[in-house]
Amino acid sequence: MRPEILLLPILIPFASGVLALFTSRKYRGMVALIAAAMNLALACFLFKANVIFTAPWAGFGFEFILRAYQFSGFIIGAAACFAILITLYCTVFLKEKAFSNQFYAYLLISIAMLNGAVLADNLVAMLFFWEGMLLTLFGLIAIGRPGAFKTATKAFVIVGICDLCMMAGIALSGHLAGTLTISKISLDITGLGGLAFILLMIGAISKAGSMPFHSWIPDAALDAPLPFMAIFPGALEKLIGIYFLTRISLDMFKLDPHSWVSMVMMIVGSLTIVLAVSMALIQKDYKRLLSYHAISQVGYMILGIGTLVPAGIIGGLFHMLNNAIYKSCLFLTGGAVEKETGTTDLKKLGGLWKKMPVTFACFAVAAVSISGVPPFNGFFSKELVYDGALERGMIFYIAALLGSFLTAASFLKLGHAAYLGKISKENERAKEAPIQMLLPMIVIASFCIIFGLWNTLPIQKLIQPILGERLEGHNYGGFPTNMMLVIATVAVLLAALINHIFGVKKSGSGLGAVDHIHHAPVLSGIYDKAEKRLFDPYAIGLKIVDVVSKIAWSVDRGIDWVYNVFFVDAAFAVSNGIRSLHNGSYAAYLAWSLAGAGLVIIFLMR
Amino acid sequence: MTIDLILLVMMTIAALWAVMARSLLKAAIALAVTSAVVTIIMFRLASPLAAVFELSVCTGLITAIFVSAISLTRPLTHAQTIAMSKNKFRRYWYLPVIMVIAAAALFLLKIKVDVPLPQVLAIDDVRNIMWNLRQLDMYGQIVLILAGSFGIVILFRESDKDGS
Amino acid sequence: MPALFFLIPLIGVITLNLPFRKLMKKTAFWFAAVLFIFQIVLVSSHRTSFWGTGLVQGSFFNVNFYVDHLTLIMLFSISIVSLASLLVARAMISDENKRFNFINLLITAAIGMNGIVMVKDIFSLYVFLEVAAVSAFIMITINKDKPALEGAFKYILLSAIATIMMLSSIGLLLLIAGDTSFGAISAAISSSPQSMLVKLAMAIFLCGLFIKGGLIPFHGWLPDAYSAAAAPASVLLAGIVTKVSGIYTLIRIVTSLFGFTPAVSKVLLLIGAASIVIGAFAALGQKDLKRMLAYSSISQVGYIIIGFGTGSVLGVTGAVFHLFNHAIFKSLLFVNAAAVEKEAGTVDMDRLGGLSQTMPITGTTSAIAFLSTSGIPPLAGFWSKVIIIIALWQAGYIAYAAVAVLTSVLTAAYLITMQRKAFFGNIAPGLERTKEAPLAICVASIILAAVTVGVGVFFPFVFNNFIMPVKEILIK
Repeated sequence: MRPEILLLPILIPFASGVLALFTSRKYRGMVALIAAAMNLALACFLFKANVIFTAPWAGFGFEFILRAYQFSGFIIGAAACFAILITLYCTVFLKEKAFSNQFYAYLLISIAMLNGAVLADNLVAMLFFWEGMLLTLFGLIAIGRPGAFKTATKAFVIVGICDLCMMAGIALSGHLAGTLTISKISLDITGLGGLAFILLMIGAISKAGSMPFHSWIPDAALDAPLPFMAIFPGALEKLIGIYFLTRISLDMFKLDPHSWVSMVMMIVGSLTIVLAVSMALIQKDYKRLLSYHAISQVGYMILGIGTLVPAGIIGGLFHMLNNAIYKSCLFLTGGAVEKETGTTDLKKLGGLWKKMPVTFACFAVAAVSISGVPPFNGFFSKELVYDGALERGMIFYIAALLGSFLTAASFLKLGHAAYLGKISKENERAKEAPIQMLLPMIVIASFCIIFGLWNTLPIQKLIQPILGERLEGHNYGGFPTNMMLVIATVAVLLAALINHIFGVKKSGSGLGAVDHIHHAPVLSGIYDKAEKRLFDPYAIGLKIVDVVSKIAWSVDRGIDWVYNVFFVDAAFAVSNGIRSLHNGSYAAYLAWSLAGAGLVIIFLMR
Repeated sequence: MTIDLILLVMMTIAALWAVMARSLLKAAIALAVTSAVVTIIMFRLASPLAAVFELSVCTGLITAIFVSAISLTRPLTHAQTIAMSKNKFRRYWYLPVIMVIAAAALFLLKIKVDVPLPQVLAIDDVRNIMWNLRQLDMYGQIVLILAGSFGIVILFRESDKDGS
Repeated sequence: MPALFFLIPLIGVITLNLPFRKLMKKTAFWFAAVLFIFQIVLVSSHRTSFWGTGLVQGSFFNVNFYVDHLTLIMLFSISIVSLASLLVARAMISDENKRFNFINLLITAAIGMNGIVMVKDIFSLYVFLEVAAVSAFIMITINKDKPALEGAFKYILLSAIATIMMLSSIGLLLLIAGDTSFGAISAAISSSPQSMLVKLAMAIFLCGLFIKGGLIPFHGWLPDAYSAAAAPASVLLAGIVTKVSGIYTLIRIVTSLFGFTPAVSKVLLLIGAASIVIGAFAALGQKDLKRMLAYSSISQVGYIIIGFGTGSVLGVTGAVFHLFNHAIFKSLLFVNAAAVEKEAGTVDMDRLGGLSQTMPITGTTSAIAFLSTSGIPPLAGFWSKVIIIIALWQAGYIAYAAVAVLTSVLTAAYLITMQRKAFFGNIAPGLERTKEAPLAICVASIILAAVTVGVGVFFPFVFNNFIMPVKEILIK
């Protein structure tokens, strides 16, 4: 296999993205679909490859290295699968939209960038592709409904600031290690090394959408085109964020489970789980509810990897894969509902299971999966994370379990409100989504079951090789060995079910199933404030910036006068003086020249 | 040496006269005088070839062209001529001054030939000089003449057509 | 084979003026275009075997040209700017006879400039300087309007002074060396470096070149000539004629004849700094687009001279790089000015406005040129300016470096003013019906803009392969 082949996963999607931009509406979907298929074929081809491509980078002294191995092949393959399914879905969903060429272009370029970032073995090259994804992210949100531009800016600012942190981290680790080649870096986390790790970690987890860098995701859920939610926060960003987190935790830095960074990651992880899922619980919109889960599930991955014990890491990575599967499926069902009923407001939905039985089935599978019901895939990854968390401390385990409870409760609410109950009048005529939309959902949902029942397959074939020697010969596939954990999980799920039945009885509808938690003393106050975005770091940041800018503005006026009035007037005075000297008389010009010549001659002859 | 000095001074005065003269005709004649003096200087500097060229082209041909061209123009009235000459003198009063200053400066700088001068080339056949040693310059001159002829075409011939 | 750059145009221009003028008038444009493209291609192909061999050495044509990397860069600039000028002429000069004459003159000017950059004999250099200058005088006046005649007259007068100075200097050098080839003169000078005669010759020659290059305070003719010249002539004049006949010659003469002495460096730095500052200030207050560009030219040439004045490898390469960049972006600006003149009928900036709406290509390329001139990365102008400033800093001329940096703010200021008044904002009354410039002008501006952007983006490649080898001129 020639090493140049590694350029293809970057060039092909990029070129076809540009092509899609200029294709007429009729053929855009076709172009995108072919490109995604080619990408998938390439990904399969590279899946077991172990190739390094090296090219000198003109004039700057370091090298452009692409490296395909176990882990990157896995990520690229997963991303390619999602890309082709979502593209297929989009060919229907975006058929009528004028901006679909932009959507396909951004999507394909994002794939190119993701492939580049995953393959890159040089931190600067990786950063280049990483930032490329930031640009397409901005574009994808901005083409949504009117007003999406503001959300796009919000996302851009938040992710951009975190990327800046990452850039600083890259510079720092490059400085400390003396090389920018990822596979050659091996740093301690003492002193500056710790700072470098934290900076890189911020970049990675913000891409994945963890708290406190999450606040654009719920906004984007409403503003951006829906397939964006399924592919970006649902799948690609998780894949690449967690991929990079794993790379820095396992390869670039020498970490052991008793270090403080492990503690930092676990705290971030568990806080993200609990806080985001409690926000999800009270949402009244299909897509917004899902978007909070997209944040919450990242918590499990960060928690799992943060434990730094093999069970946790495998759980985290497995959860990454599972989450991408069921979360994109959930978003796609949301899209199907939106397409058929025209709304995602839960108040207006209900009783859709009769009209859209396949969609409902897919939703049900994905929902039980995300809630962690055995034997679906979510259960197994969560069990592994629990196992790791328990090994590191009871408190993390409890947080994860609490998250699980709330997840189950909110999905019971969502399913009940959207698909069960009475059908509203507006939706009487709703019908099943077309086959191009159903197919991706069915495929993804079936993976929920396959990866659950045969969980040894992904764990042993895909994930365990990534850890290699750290496993010390253990095998984490199969049914969990620790029965206590299983019993606790099942108990929690049952509690959620009971809670739901209780809530439905109390409020009388599926939508109000969790109102008793929402309106509980203390909690209701916090929820109100959270809904008003008092806890949104972006909003807080904007307020601070506002105050600072007012102070700066008044200082600025003074300085401004110097620049705007004084300097300008002075410059124009000089200019006019010089201009009045140029009166067009060639005798004067001649005199200047001769005088100048005299001076030069005297100076040189001296 | 003194003769050379006198000739140089004569040349300078004639050149100044050419610039500051009252009428175009006198200016043309003064120019011819300048060229004539230059011719003498060249003879004295033992370069008869250059002198002959100078005499035939600059003193003879160019003066003839100038005089014939000037004869085609409408002469100025007497009052205009006086006004012109006064005006001209006022405008060019500094030229003699510059001359004097430059001469004084060069004199005061005391520039001596302080380098070992190379052997002067043996007098060569003019054809050899023109064709073998300075062939490139000949080609350059051809282009120069071409450019000049385009200039004449542009500036003079077409104006008849335009009637401007 | 470099003699081809001289011979083919010469034979061509003679052929064009043989009988069958009617046929020739039609083919003249294409002949010139092919000629310049041929030169661009040959220069950029960079074949050493081509440059090394002479033509058929016979009695008929027996001259040697001398080509090094500096020459190659200049040949490239000459051909590309001449091509731009040719395209502008096609669009701007409607009368067929006039256009035919203009094209002839353009070719003779190109012959002159090609000769200037390829000879290694000081008298031949002078002859070709005259060829380029005479062609330029006449090109300026192609439309025979009064301002153009006045501008050309000033140019002729001051050029005559420059010619006298250079000829006197050549006379002195001939006296010293007994020959006019660079090698002989250089040897004679280095054998007696303290001689007053040599210093006098050098001083006079430099002054002549300062006039040719339009540096402060020798610049009097430049704004009038540039702004009054016919549009295609101003492209050629501002873009390349003054650069080749003034600046290139200065670089060549100082490096291969006189060598850097502290006094020469000081003079160059002082004149360069004065040109930068005064040129920029004068440009700031101009109302006439072309006049502003003319003063801007003085200021930019100042950068070249100040960089060259350091005498260091970095400074000289930076100066050559800026010379190249300046030729490209300044001719681009003049091409855009021609487009504005053609479509809007005026170049008075107070009466222009919002032309980007009706002339998108002109507006965009003009923005590229202005960004490059102001030194905004990653365009070409940024790199050359940065190199010059670094060279000044390294050589210890920190005050000059500061001047260079501060004036680039002024540069940005006047060019932004230009851009805002002419191209941005609301469309000025009476200009609503303007349309995009003719195809030929658009092609010219797109080519030049592409070169500016390309050189900027592929800076490391261009600099290492084409500009850096120029340092050979410093090593004798």
